[in-house]
Amino acid sequence: MKGSNGAGGRERVIRFALFAMASISIFSVLLILLFIFKESLPAIRSQGFTLLTTNWSPNVSDPSAGSYGMLAFLNGTILTTLGGMALGAPLGVGTAVFIIQIAPERIEGILRRGIEMLAGIPSVIIGWFGLTLLVPYIARVTGTSGYGILAASIVLAVMVLPTVVVLSMEALKSLPHELEEASLAMGATRWQTIRHALLPAARRGILVAVILGMGRAIGETMAVQMVVGNARQLAFSLTERTSTLTSRIITDMGESTGVFRSALFAQGLVLLLLVMLLILGVKLVSRDKKVK
Amino acid sequence: MMKPKTADRIATIVFWLLGGITVGVLLFIILQIFGRGLLTALNPKFLLGKPEAMKEGGGIFPMIISSLYLTGLTLLIALPVSLGAAIYLAEYSREGRVTGAIRFCVDSLAGLPSIVFGIFGMTLFVIYFGWGYSLIAGAFTCAILNLPTLMRSSEESIRSVPGTYREASFSLGATRWTTVRQVVLPSATPGILAGTMLTIGRILGESAAIVYTAGLFVRKAPTSPMDTAAPLASYIWYAQTEALIPDFRRVVDGGAAFLLLLVLLMNFLARRLARYYQRKKLAGGADG
Amino acid sequence: MRKNCTRNGLLVGVVILALLLVMLAVGCGNGETEESTTPAKTEGEYSGTVKASGSTTVLPLAQEAATGFMEDNPDATVEVQGGGSSTGITQVKEGVVDIGNASRDLKDEEDDGALVDHKIAFDIIAVVVNPGVTVTDLTTDQVKGLFTGAIKNWSEVGGADAEVVVVSRDQASGTREMFDQEALGSSKDAPVVPAESAIETNSNGIMRETVASTANSIGYLSYGYINDSVKPVNYNGVEPTIENAKADTYPLARYLHMFTNGEPEGAVKGYIDYVLSDAFQTDVVSKDYIPISEVE
Repeated sequence: MKGSNGAGGRERVIRFALFAMASISIFSVLLILLFIFKESLPAIRSQGFTLLTTNWSPNVSDPSAGSYGMLAFLNGTILTTLGGMALGAPLGVGTAVFIIQIAPERIEGILRRGIEMLAGIPSVIIGWFGLTLLVPYIARVTGTSGYGILAASIVLAVMVLPTVVVLSMEALKSLPHELEEASLAMGATRWQTIRHALLPAARRGILVAVILGMGRAIGETMAVQMVVGNARQLAFSLTERTSTLTSRIITDMGESTGVFRSALFAQGLVLLLLVMLLILGVKLVSRDKKVK
Repeated sequence: MMKPKTADRIATIVFWLLGGITVGVLLFIILQIFGRGLLTALNPKFLLGKPEAMKEGGGIFPMIISSLYLTGLTLLIALPVSLGAAIYLAEYSREGRVTGAIRFCVDSLAGLPSIVFGIFGMTLFVIYFGWGYSLIAGAFTCAILNLPTLMRSSEESIRSVPGTYREASFSLGATRWTTVRQVVLPSATPGILAGTMLTIGRILGESAAIVYTAGLFVRKAPTSPMDTAAPLASYIWYAQTEALIPDFRRVVDGGAAFLLLLVLLMNFLARRLARYYQRKKLAGGADG
Repeated sequence: MRKNCTRNGLLVGVVILALLLVMLAVGCGNGETEESTTPAKTEGEYSGTVKASGSTTVLPLAQEAATGFMEDNPDATVEVQGGGSSTGITQVKEGVVDIGNASRDLKDEEDDGALVDHKIAFDIIAVVVNPGVTVTDLTTDQVKGLFTGAIKNWSEVGGADAEVVVVSRDQASGTREMFDQEALGSSKDAPVVPAESAIETNSNGIMRETVASTANSIGYLSYGYINDSVKPVNYNGVEPTIENAKADTYPLARYLHMFTNGEPEGAVKGYIDYVLSDAFQTDVVSKDYIPISEVE
């Protein structure tokens, strides 16, 4: 090789530099885990299992005298997420099937572009929309304040829609064409083909779409905070007000110190673990697919 | 038992309905936002005015500057890193345990809620490094947040450069780095740019990671990266959560419309670039 | 044909971007000229930056004073943020800000001896309801029952048959602290807290918006924030007015404070003196609050 030493040395330096940049993602994840954990330690130490109760009574001027149970907010996160998915998942998967199978070719592109647009709308804007239109509407129809789990679920459904639609579309598109043709050739109707051939074949991909949508719903902050009502109660009914982990963090972080702040980090830690669990789930689901 | 034909017809109607709802929701939101705020948003007095803390009639000029400044700084940090990482993954590494670990971490980063990045950035950059609420703290937080998207889109663009290009370059005696720099990157640029545009849209719309790192409210446009800033998205949230100005509805409506305009513009540019790229790759062939 | 389309699209995009940039550039220019005209005034005696944070009740006053003070002293900058009374007190102790604004007194555990109290005005808190609520008068027990959730329906206090929606303030709020103590009878040993279903709001501003937009809601506001969108109710038959508070017949009243860490110096002192000046107290404070000279 010409000038082997210089060029080879340079190659090695460059390779190392590039590797270093690639490792930043590992480094970042570790750093995030470390810091969130470290910051939540004081609360875990001083509060212990109290953290997992519904007793939320912070004390701002003497934080260690307060009590910081997050159960009501964890419950809020779970219920609003499930509510959002109950609305968003069927709508999203249905829309994906519609776009791929049923919509005329002409409008397919327009629809896809529309979905991409929806994904781009910032969450504060969707939240503002929920606060000024959805909440008053629910208030009028149900005779309640309008804030609560239902409002948050609807807002979340809109927010997870793009994720679910786009990923479901990918799953449906990756199916071999022969599958559809064979089914239709055997005299099956389009609905029978969709139901008995396409959806079962794409179910792993669709499952991944729904799980990732869920991850988005769990972590959504601003839009939920605006409509969920910010109450500290444990709520089960759709029109009851409550808080989610994310909405609590964003509301109280600016005003908290000491154990109070640490308790919010502990909520962040729970949030982080929930999402990590979902990502692990996605890995498992998609690995199975490769083995089969 | 229903006749298959009838079931098929009903299913078709249901799917049209589902598709219709999705499109309806989208159109409704966009039209509402623009309908309520576009007039305010395009009023120069609003766009170029200073925000008010207590009185009505404030504008959003420092917020626009903050948003653009933050976007620029974030890209300055994130783009080289994600590009380097993407080159490493696509050109230098073999799939193995290390790349597996990197990919898992990238996936995890992509899935983490932005509020987690927000409180992380607050502890590390704002408090631990003592940078205070500042553009630079917001930019580092936002950079980590957007690393996965940028990395993935860059890697995809690099991978889609035909292998024959590289072979041709190698056969001329070029080193790997020379090949990457002179052959692969130029062909991948439009794809990388498209990914960057989408990321710009995301940075502009980000709020949960920003409010406790970059700031919520300023009256003067920031000049130094160490200045406290108030990117538009976080100001929109602040204005409606605190509601200290009497005309906060007008400000939020106008701010939201302008923000949406910016984001849609970025998405539009991204699509154009991607389309252009695809056409170039197909070299004049038919496209869909 | 298609290709042209793309090119036009790109062109449109570039043009829009360019327009935006031009607008921003013009804006920059505007901002600068605006800035450069202000220092032409007489030179003030103070310079430097004053940072303040805390109570949203004090915020309008502090902001108003900041504007006036900066006009008199072009070299000085005053930055005022909200956050709540507890935040202001914590931050002034930590040295994050020069002045901590509060709408309540120091608590024992907060008083480290170093904080200097500057009382700047006297304020009243009014119980407010959504304009659709027919009730106009509430007793102490009714207010207590409504806010703690013991009274769940407006019909129990003479209103329509509708569920009560309680709106309260956040933990760091001095207004809430004061309201919990004076109206709900909360004390350190026997805390009384608002109903668990209460909507927590982060400022007087959003409290007003929430009460105004939510049917059947009840909340409380600092007097300066009351406007037509909410309905103040009489407390034990006494109308919440500045006159009644001065006459000592309206009980939900408190001082507004600015706390400094040690005796204030330089611009910080100048700013507080400005707030306490006769001109500011009669021109601004007296509109929504009771000037400090009239109560001491």
